[in-house]
Amino acid sequence: MIVLQNLIDAVSLGAVYALAALGIGLIFSVMRLINFAHGELIMVGGFTLYTLAGQPLLVMILAALLTSTVLALGMERVAFRTLRKASPATLLISSFAVSYLIQHIVLLAFGSRAMGVAFLPELGTAIDLGGLRIPLLQLVTIAVTLVLMAGLVAFFRLSETGLQMRAAAEDFTMARLVGVKANRVIAFAFAISGVLASIVSFYLVAQTGSVSYKMGVSMVLIAFVSSVIGGMGSIAGAALGGFLVGIVSVSLQAYLPVDLRPYRDAFVFLLFVLFLFWRPDGLLASRADRDRV
Amino acid sequence: MEGHRLQRLAAGLFAAASLMATGVARAEEPIVIGAAIAQSGIIAPYDDGPAKAMEIAAEEINAKGGLLGRPLKIIYSDTKSDIAYGATAAQDVIDKGANMVVVTCDYDYGSAAASVADGAGLIAFSTCAGDPKFGPSGIGPNAFTMATGAPGQAVAITEWAYDKMGWRSGYLLLDTTIAFDASFADFFTRRWVELAGPEGLAGKDTFGGEDPQIASQITRIKALPKQPDFIVLASFPPGGASALRQLRAAGINQPILASESWDGDYWLDAVPNLSDFYFVTYGSVFGNDTRPAVVDFMSKFEKKFGQRPVTSHALTGYSVIQGWAKAVEQAGTLEAGKVREKLEVFVDEPLLAGPTTFTKDSHINMQRDLILLEVKGGKTGNVVGIVKAKQMPK
Repeated sequence: MIVLQNLIDAVSLGAVYALAALGIGLIFSVMRLINFAHGELIMVGGFTLYTLAGQPLLVMILAALLTSTVLALGMERVAFRTLRKASPATLLISSFAVSYLIQHIVLLAFGSRAMGVAFLPELGTAIDLGGLRIPLLQLVTIAVTLVLMAGLVAFFRLSETGLQMRAAAEDFTMARLVGVKANRVIAFAFAISGVLASIVSFYLVAQTGSVSYKMGVSMVLIAFVSSVIGGMGSIAGAALGGFLVGIVSVSLQAYLPVDLRPYRDAFVFLLFVLFLFWRPDGLLASRADRDRV
Repeated sequence: MEGHRLQRLAAGLFAAASLMATGVARAEEPIVIGAAIAQSGIIAPYDDGPAKAMEIAAEEINAKGGLLGRPLKIIYSDTKSDIAYGATAAQDVIDKGANMVVVTCDYDYGSAAASVADGAGLIAFSTCAGDPKFGPSGIGPNAFTMATGAPGQAVAITEWAYDKMGWRSGYLLLDTTIAFDASFADFFTRRWVELAGPEGLAGKDTFGGEDPQIASQITRIKALPKQPDFIVLASFPPGGASALRQLRAAGINQPILASESWDGDYWLDAVPNLSDFYFVTYGSVFGNDTRPAVVDFMSKFEKKFGQRPVTSHALTGYSVIQGWAKAVEQAGTLEAGKVREKLEVFVDEPLLAGPTTFTKDSHINMQRDLILLEVKGGKTGNVVGIVKAKQMPK
C-alpha cells in the first residue's frame, strides 16, 4: 500500500516538473536558448494571483495566463530577438540578466517577505481510495498535465504552426529556406511557454499557498535538469525527463535512511551525473543535435 | 589576510582618533549610534521593525535628558542585504563618528559588520541574530545580540509540551534550509529525549524549504504505527507554511510547535483556517501581551509609524538601545571595554525584550521569558502564556 502511495506522490510531482521542463525544452528546441527567465514567468503568474486575490477565480486565472504570456512575448521581443544570431552562451547570459531584472523589479515592488495567498484551498483536501490518500490538487495536476501534453502533441502534429515549429526544431535554417517565418514560430513558442509557466504557477500557489520573488528559481533549475535528462531539443524528452526527476526525487525521499535524507538532492544529482555518463545526449536526443555532433 | 589586518589597524587608528575627538567635544554633542543594517533587498523587512523601535528608544532617552547628558542620534548605512557589503556599511557609520554599531538581525548577514565594529574597538550589537556564535566565539569580545537563541526557544516550548500539556510522543519535521532550524531541532530532540525518553520521539524527517511538495514526508507520518501527540515543525514561511498547509490538508491535525520564525500574520493566508499551531516569540504585536510594557510599546509604535510592527522582533531593537544605554550609564563612559564589562554582569536585567543576562563567554540569551502564542481558527496572536527554558540539555 505504501509503495502505491509513494508512486502516486512521485507521479504527481513528476507531472509538475514535466510541465516546467516542457516550457524550457520548447524554447530550446526552436532557438537553442536555455531560458532561465522561465522561472520568472512562473513567478509573475504567481504574483498576478496574489494581486488579484479575492476576485472571481476565472478572472485570477485568465489574468495570470495573460500576464505570463505577455511577459514571455515581451522578453522574446526585447531581449532575445536581437540576439538571435548570437552564440548560445550569449543567449544564456542574456536570459540570466532578464531573470535577475524581473526578480529585482518584483523585489522592489513587493518586498522580500513571502506572502500568503488563498488560491483554490478546496484542492487541498484529499480523497481516500481504499486507504490511499490522493490530494485533489495532485489529481488535477496529473490530469491537466496529460491534457496539455495531448494538446501539444495534437498541435505539433495537426496545425500548420505546429508543423513549422517542428521543422524549426529539426533545422532552423532549412525551415526558413522553405518559407517558415522565424519571428512567428519563435513568438509562438514563447507564448506557449508563457502559458505553461502560468499553469505551473497555479500549481505552486495552490500547493504552497504563498508567493515570493524567488519562487521560480528552484523550479527552473529542476526543469533545466529534466530537459537535459530527457534530451535537449526533444520536446517529448523534456516531459519524460520531468517525470523521471520527480519520481527519482520522491523515491529517494521515501527510501533513503533518515540520516542521509537531508542530502537527498545530492543523491538525485549524483544519479543524473551517472546517467549522463551512460547517455550523454539524454533519453531522447533530437536528431538535429546528433547530426551536429 | 594581510589586507584585512591593515584594514583593522586603520579602523582602530580611526576609532582612537575619534575617541580623542569626542573627549574634547562639547557636552551636548550627540552620541552617535551607527546602524549598519539592511534598508533594501531581501533582509530589509527583518531589519525594518527593530530599526524603527530603536528610534522610539532613542527618543525616550532624549526626552529624559539624553545619555551622559548628551542626546542620542541614530545614523544609517544600508548593507543592501549583501553579506560582503556589511563590512563597508559598518566602516561607513564608523567613519561618520558612530560610538557603537547596530547590525542586522541575522548571523550570516550581520557578522561581517559586527567584526569591523569589534575590530574598531566599538560595541557591536545585533538586534535579533539567534545563533550562539554571535559573540566572543564567532566574532569578537565586543559583539552582543539581543536575541533569545534558537536553543532557548526550543527548550522552552519542549518543556511546555511535556509539563503543561502532558504530551508524551513527538515527531520532528526539519527544514534543512537554514542553521537556525537545525539548532532548534537539535535542542528539541535533546531536551525531549531527556524528558520523554528515546521512545517518546516517534520519528523524524527532513524536507527542503523550496521543495514544491512534502507528499512522501506526509505518507511516512501517516504510516506510523501510532500517531504522535504533536509535531515540531522546525521551518519558516513560506516553505514551512507550504508544508503546514499540506500537513493539515492531509488530515494531520495534531498540535504543531514552532519557533519565532512564525511571528506575524502575513503568512496566514497560506494555511486556511489553521488551528492548534503554537509558537514562541518575543511578544505579541496584537496589543494583547500579558506584559504592560510590551502593550505600551506596541501602541507607541502604532502611533508613531501608523501601523504595528509586522513581527515582535521590533522589541529587540528597542532593547539594544535600552540595554546599551544602561551599561553606558553605569560605566559613565562610551569606552567599549568598560561598557562591555557592565554588559557582561547583566543578570536578568529587565529589558523590553525580556530579562537579559550576559556573561563573559555568552553574549546571547537562552533561558529567557518568551511569549507562547497560538493560532486558532485562522487567527494568530492568542496568548497561551509566558514560558522560559528551565533546564538546558546536557
